[in-house]
Amino acid sequence: MKTLAFAGVLTSSLLVATALTPVGAADMTHERALNVYKEPHNWLLHHGNYEGWRFSQLKQLNTGNVKNLKVAFTVALGGYESGGRYKHGNLQATPIVEDGMMYVTDGWGSVYAIDVTNPKKASIKWKFDPATDRAWAGDVACCGVNNRGVALWKDKIISISLDGRLFSLNKATGEMVWERKVADPAFAETLTLAPLVIRDLGIVGVAGGEYGVRGWIDGTDLNTGKQVWRTYTIPGPGEPGHETWKDGKERYKHGGGSVWETATYDPETDTFYQGIGNAGPDWDPEYRPGDNKWAASVLALDPKDGKIKWGFQYTPNDPYDYDEISEHQIINAKVNGEDRKLVVHAARNGFYYALDRINGSFILGKQYVDQLNWTPGLDPKTGLPLNYNPNTDVQEYAPGSHSSRARPKSDRLCPSHYGGKNWEPGAYNPELNLLYIPSIEGCNTVETVEQKDFEDQGGPVKWRERFVGGAGRPTERLYGSIKALDPTTGETKVRLKLEYPNYSGALATAGNLVFLGHYDGTFAAYDAKTLEELWSFNTGTGINAPAVTYAVNGKQYVAVLVGSRQPQNIWAHAPELKHTATASMLYVFEQQ
Amino acid sequence: MMRSRLAFGAVLLAALLPGVPAHAQTSLSPEEARLIEYGKEVYKNKGNCQFCHKWDASGDTGYGGIALSLRKTFLTREQFAEVIKCGRPLTGMPYHDQFAYTDKRCYDMTRADLGKDMPPIGETLQPREIDAVVKYLFAKAVGRGASTYEECVDFWGKDTRQCDPMKK
Repeated sequence: MKTLAFAGVLTSSLLVATALTPVGAADMTHERALNVYKEPHNWLLHHGNYEGWRFSQLKQLNTGNVKNLKVAFTVALGGYESGGRYKHGNLQATPIVEDGMMYVTDGWGSVYAIDVTNPKKASIKWKFDPATDRAWAGDVACCGVNNRGVALWKDKIISISLDGRLFSLNKATGEMVWERKVADPAFAETLTLAPLVIRDLGIVGVAGGEYGVRGWIDGTDLNTGKQVWRTYTIPGPGEPGHETWKDGKERYKHGGGSVWETATYDPETDTFYQGIGNAGPDWDPEYRPGDNKWAASVLALDPKDGKIKWGFQYTPNDPYDYDEISEHQIINAKVNGEDRKLVVHAARNGFYYALDRINGSFILGKQYVDQLNWTPGLDPKTGLPLNYNPNTDVQEYAPGSHSSRARPKSDRLCPSHYGGKNWEPGAYNPELNLLYIPSIEGCNTVETVEQKDFEDQGGPVKWRERFVGGAGRPTERLYGSIKALDPTTGETKVRLKLEYPNYSGALATAGNLVFLGHYDGTFAAYDAKTLEELWSFNTGTGINAPAVTYAVNGKQYVAVLVGSRQPQNIWAHAPELKHTATASMLYVFEQQ
Repeated sequence: MMRSRLAFGAVLLAALLPGVPAHAQTSLSPEEARLIEYGKEVYKNKGNCQFCHKWDASGDTGYGGIALSLRKTFLTREQFAEVIKCGRPLTGMPYHDQFAYTDKRCYDMTRADLGKDMPPIGETLQPREIDAVVKYLFAKAVGRGASTYEECVDFWGKDTRQCDPMKK
């Protein structure tokens, strides 16, 4: 009987290539990271692969049988404690799965190693609690208590905490090997993104764009826990782009450009592509005349020294808070009959962009959101907004779409300042050549309050105080959508309107499925070709995290973190969500 | 309708008036001290007031909207309680009585009267919680100048670095 069972496992070897017990997990090497397709049963990298596809080759679950998906098991986690400005932590992490072990984080940075080899006995094997100073960190987190997950490196887990520390943990036990204080909450610096590991380098970036930080990206030698390089996203004197800060008052020092979602990486040219956040202060662009590079941009960087190879700015002198930190997929494809190496991005400003990833030149751009009113379109040559004026220091995009000191309240802004697409990652199915964009649809208004200077520049604003020059104001109910685009044309092939803005992100699989979680707790599977909903499950609390899929013992599972209560600005216009309770759960589904 | 406009106008007007004199600290009964402490907890956590108004109630901008300083408010205790209960139409200040505007308990107006000028919905607070928040704010914030290190420690406790930057 045992022999038969063992043989059964062997016959499932198409799904399961390596050892099935956590004990057998191999070291995570650069070689493995480059070849994740050889281990389809695992989910080894934050975005599934370095290219940012969030695509699994597993197809045991497919459009024909997904209707049979049932809960396999759940695991209760922690991390919903209050801290600083926040009543509770959130779950936004992408699980990492390696040979029957899953690694997830809660908002306060605790790491949970969960043995998922046997669904009936799934349990937390170890937990690492970084003992975050919650008030200290939570008071300078702009938008919730968030942590987007861990990375694997050798026999270690690399993780972060909101109060700015980077950790190397023993993968087998959870014991801390070293910690490095990378970001400092004394200067409103926090960490929320999952580290990107390239070879022996751990790359993170600073959050704090609403608190007057000058953004940076930072590389740590994971062998020693020491800094290798730091690159500021807002260039200083003598650096290219510094000339786009025309205030003459060194306002680049508080210029924003934060970094809070994991970059993508092209091993062929050894380049990583990092999306960069909004300029600071968000809604008083008169405070920072000039284009404000590299806020609201993408940077191509060399992981060896952190040097910037090129940058492309989406919204110069951004008056909206359209930061562009979300992922930039790497795709090789024919565009107009020509082979192109693309880096693509569904931007918070409502446009889809395809750039040449070798030199950063603009190839094409197209509106993907339902409503967009801040510019009539993009210049087909430069990709700049059509109403961008190179001869002015403070841009005037479509009248009424933004506020100013003279006119402190905007009219409707579409997409709303939340985007478009916020941090929630999209997914790409290479077999169908479709890019899935989970979106926030609708409009709101923004307001300007003249920003006062920081103390170090002669003003009253102290470190750790908000530095936003106004506010965004939700004025109408937003909704959501999932759109399937042809990334070589930007054409939306299929669209599905969703009841709620999507803040969870997408998973695509070779079973021609797309998975999405929703505000109201619905976790659903869609047909990748038609976006028809094929299956859903009500988890009973909000979902703000992307799903992953993996296999153990020849069986495919789908996993997602569940339990986020939405903030007041969301349920103010969706009052049915008001009483959603915070929870902190891992849900795992299987076919039955 | 006339009455409701007047009442609402009074609230708006009061909010715009300049500061009141600082409240002298008098010795508190244990029950008063307990209620003030309770109000602090509601302000900090359940009511989520500090997200927009800051921990020291000095007001703020940003993702919480443009929130006024409560330290500089000129509202009376009764008006204060009314604004917490009913919110402020035309602004981002939410209402915290979950049945506000279902009848005419707030400014003599209903949801239908206000239409798109409805204030946003906030966390539900019971009258005793609203009363405690008002007591807390009048004891610790209203009429005071810039917040101090001692006030910070009183709010956040001593188990965090949160107040270190305010140390003299």
